[in-house]
Formats: sequence, C-alpha cells, structure tokens
Amino acid sequence: MPPETVLAFDTSAAHCAAALLLPDGRCLTRNEAMTKGQAERLMSLLADLLAEAGLGWSALSRIGVGTGPGNFTGIRISVAAARGLAVGLGIPAIGVGRLEAMAHGLPRPLVVAEAARSGEIWVQAFTHTPGELVVLDDAGLRAAYDGWAATGSAAVATGGQLLAPAMPLAEATARIAATRLPGARPAPIYLRPADAAPPSDPPPLILP
Amino acid sequence: MDGTLTFLGLESSCDDTAAAVVRAGPEGAVILSSVVAGQDALHAAFGGVVPEIAARAHAERIDLCVEQALEQAGLPLAAMDGIAVTAGPGLIGGVLAAVMCAKGLSAATGLPLVGVNHLAGHALTPRLTDALAFPYLMLLVSGGHCQFLLVEGVDRFRRLGGTIDDAPGEAFDKTAKLLGLPQPGGPAVEAEAAQGDARRFAFPRPLLDRPGCDLSFSGLKTALLRARDAVIAARGGIPVQDRRDLCAGFQAAVADVLAEKSRRALVECPGITGFAVAGGVAANATLRGRLMAVAAAAGVPFLAPPLRLCTDNAAMIAWAGIERFRAGLTDDLALSARPRWPLDSTAPALLGSGKKGAKA
Repeated sequence: MPPETVLAFDTSAAHCAAALLLPDGRCLTRNEAMTKGQAERLMSLLADLLAEAGLGWSALSRIGVGTGPGNFTGIRISVAAARGLAVGLGIPAIGVGRLEAMAHGLPRPLVVAEAARSGEIWVQAFTHTPGELVVLDDAGLRAAYDGWAATGSAAVATGGQLLAPAMPLAEATARIAATRLPGARPAPIYLRPADAAPPSDPPPLILP
Repeated sequence: MDGTLTFLGLESSCDDTAAAVVRAGPEGAVILSSVVAGQDALHAAFGGVVPEIAARAHAERIDLCVEQALEQAGLPLAAMDGIAVTAGPGLIGGVLAAVMCAKGLSAATGLPLVGVNHLAGHALTPRLTDALAFPYLMLLVSGGHCQFLLVEGVDRFRRLGGTIDDAPGEAFDKTAKLLGLPQPGGPAVEAEAAQGDARRFAFPRPLLDRPGCDLSFSGLKTALLRARDAVIAARGGIPVQDRRDLCAGFQAAVADVLAEKSRRALVECPGITGFAVAGGVAANATLRGRLMAVAAAAGVPFLAPPLRLCTDNAAMIAWAGIERFRAGLTDDLALSARPRWPLDSTAPALLGSGKKGAKA
C-alpha cells in the first residue's frame, strides 16, 4: 500500500481534534477543548495543520473522520465536513469509530469502556479483531469483562489493568484511516433511535 | 468575462435535502439542475417533522445531492464560481449538515462560500424566475413561515408583518390531522374544501379587527377543533359532508385573513414593481385566486413562481448566493449555522426567543 497523506478530525465530544499524518509516518496533531463552536472552528484548525506542514489541501490522499458514538450534532459536524471535503478533493473519506480509535496501539485483549449519559457505557472489546459495539451499565460491564485490561472513562468497572490511550484520538483516527480499505461513505454511529413518538391522539371516526 | 456566474447551492434547513446549479449571465438566469430529496416517508409515522430524524438524513444525503446536481448540470465542481448554502433559519441540526458540507467543498476547491438566509432565498426567487426589479412586496407563506416583506435590495428587507403564532401551513396540517386526512395537509384539505359549504361552520378571522399586517392562526386551529368535537359529540363521528364543510370553512377563513392583510400591505408599499407569493401554501388555488384579485384591485402585477421553486429547494439558494456575491457579500470558513435569523433586524421579534420551531 503506498503511503498516504491523511487529514483526520473528530468532534464527537467537547473538543475539536485534528491530525495530519504524513507519508513518512510523522503525525501533527491539534486538540482544542470546547463544548460548542466546533462547526465554526473545525476548518480553520484543519487549515492551520496543513499550513504547519507546508501542504495544500490538494496534497491529501485521504480524509479520516471520527464517527462516534458521541454527541449527535458533533459527529454530524465532522461527518458532513468530511464528505464535503471528499467530494471536493475527489479522495476517499474513511469513517473510524471512536472506541476503535481509543483502542489503537494498545495491547490486546482489551476492552474500551466510555461513559455515555445516564449511567450507560459504550463498550467494545478488542481481541484479534474488534468486537461489536454495545451499550451496557456498570454491572453489565463488570459481568462481561471482569478482570480485562481496559481503557476509557468507565474502564475502572472491569477491575482489570487500566491503560491510558496510546496516542491522541485524532492521530489514531488518521492512522486507522491510512490502512483501511475505502468503502461506504462515513456515517455517524448513533446506537439509539431518534427521540420521537407517534402522535397520541387517534384520528377521528369518519362516517359515510 | 461577460459577468456570467455559475453557483452550486445547498439547502437542508427543514425536511428537504437539496442541491442545485444555477447560471446567471446577461441573458438572465438558468437553473441547470435542481435536486430535492424529500423526507416525507421518514416523518410520516410521527405526524410532523422530527428534527433529529431530519438531521440524520441530511448528514448522509447532502453530498449525494451535490453530486447528482453537478451530474445533471453536466458540470464539474471546478466549473463553479462559488458555493452558496442555507445558513439558517431552520432546524439547526439539519442546517449544519449543508453548512459543513459546503465548507468542505469550499476548502477543497478554494471556491468562495456564501451563506444564505433561507427566507432571502424565497424572497429573491421572483428575480430568478421573472427578473423582477426592486422594490417588490413578498408574501412568504408556508408550513414554517408567514410574513410580508418589502424587498428593497439583495440585503434589504423590511418586514411589514407576520404571524404572531403559527404559520398557515401548520394550520392546514393540523386541520388535516384533526379530520383524519393525510399529510401534508394542504392538498388534502383543499380537495375536501372544494366539495364543501364554507358558510355552514362559522370560523373566526383572527386579528382582522386590528390594524397592521400581523397575522394569527392559532385561534383558528382551536376553533376548528371545537367545531369538530361538536360534530363528533352529536353524531358519534364525522360524516364526510361535515368534513368537507369544515375544510371549506377553515380555508375560507385563512383566505379572508391573507387577502385582507395583503390588501393592507399593498397600501403600505406604493411604487412597487409587483406582489409575489412564495411557500407551499401558495399552491392552494383558492388562496392564490384571492391574492391575485387583491393585487389586481391594487393595480400591481401578481407573481407566483412555479411550485417547485415556491417550496424548499436549492436553486433559490444558489441564486441568492449569486446575488450576494455580485453585491460583494461572501463568508469565510467560520460561517455559523443559525437556528433563528430574522431577515429584517430592525423589526421587533414576533415570537418569544424561547419558542421552538423554524420561524424567525
């Protein structure tokens, strides 16, 4: 596989993170903490990274994008931007799940456990291959992965060895995107249907 | 250089994902393509547009619509002179999808980015279709909006009045729902009304007794609910003829209100080149007929762009982008998506800032 020049980014949580992976394996990264404003900041952050490397947009061979799970709006901001960049540059955009990026570069077997909201935990186990991404609670996580080495904000529940990420999230996203075969366009990982209920009032009886 | 400009437009502010290519030159403007991917089926089970469902669909469709629009126009992205995108007002999750996609396209190509107010897109459409000169009066009447705008320039809009609660399109949808008719409610209610007696049920004409051009449709909705419940209480259901009569009465009330407020708005706008109407509600033949008569009585040309350009589309966004670009108005990659964005910043807000919805 020829070396790739990958621009990757992630806005799935309270940050605006980006990485530029160069063909020689070097990786420039940026990570700015922010709870809002990612939509306004993202493109200039990417332009800064390219400028730092002395590259233009046309030097890119791939886009890598974090597809979550995470903040729905945040994921969509990055996914939509990635798909626009891909169409504009005529290069593939590759979606990378947040938990597989967190696992990248760490020894296996490993479980990634990231706290979601209201007691839910996003859980994905990695052995030789990535397992299925599931939603568990604290007790469910311990029952399924008792004693496993773990990373992520809810990792302590396994009771096993706690590992820090091997690299920044965006760098992992870039490195995974560099080696993955381009396939379907990136799409957000939601894990939950949209909050919506059918109307409660039934339609009236119509008489002939 | 003959001043010809070709723009790509993107739109995702409600429940239509759209992209279009418009070319404007000395001979006038041509729509080279206009792709609209609707979402009716996704929202049908919920009796209205669900913002999160809409946002999910937009994020995975807008780039596909862009590719389709370019393909149908037979032009590569490199042949564009700029990229215009709806930056609001609307359902923010959806607006963000097109805004971010447009930023990606703009960064990738170096093409200028122009953020367009969705309402300005509607309001400038008569210039795309008929090269209408400023100033003109615009009635924007749809499922999300209802306002009278005096359009004086590309970036100069004066709001003469608007709804203080619901938009007429919402009222039509609600009426259809209450009477067991399919969504969207406008065409269904209109078809029933055609066979009904508008005089059988008495409905209020909200705000007609007050001066000015503001409108209200919430009370009319409540009146329809009461009349329906009275019929159900008396008959154990709604006989089909009663349903037709209810629809006819409701539609007549909306028509009376819109006609009278239009008459007043025309009085306030001497020297205009025309009275144009846009929005899905403009498709209603009865309402359209009444508005035409009002314009004729005022001696002002009446204009209603074809329905596909009256409802949400990206051709109007591409066109508004061209108009703004010609006026030297462009944006950078920090462009914000805005859920609320009144066209006329000098007019007082009609709706409380806490109120949800796509209105502004």
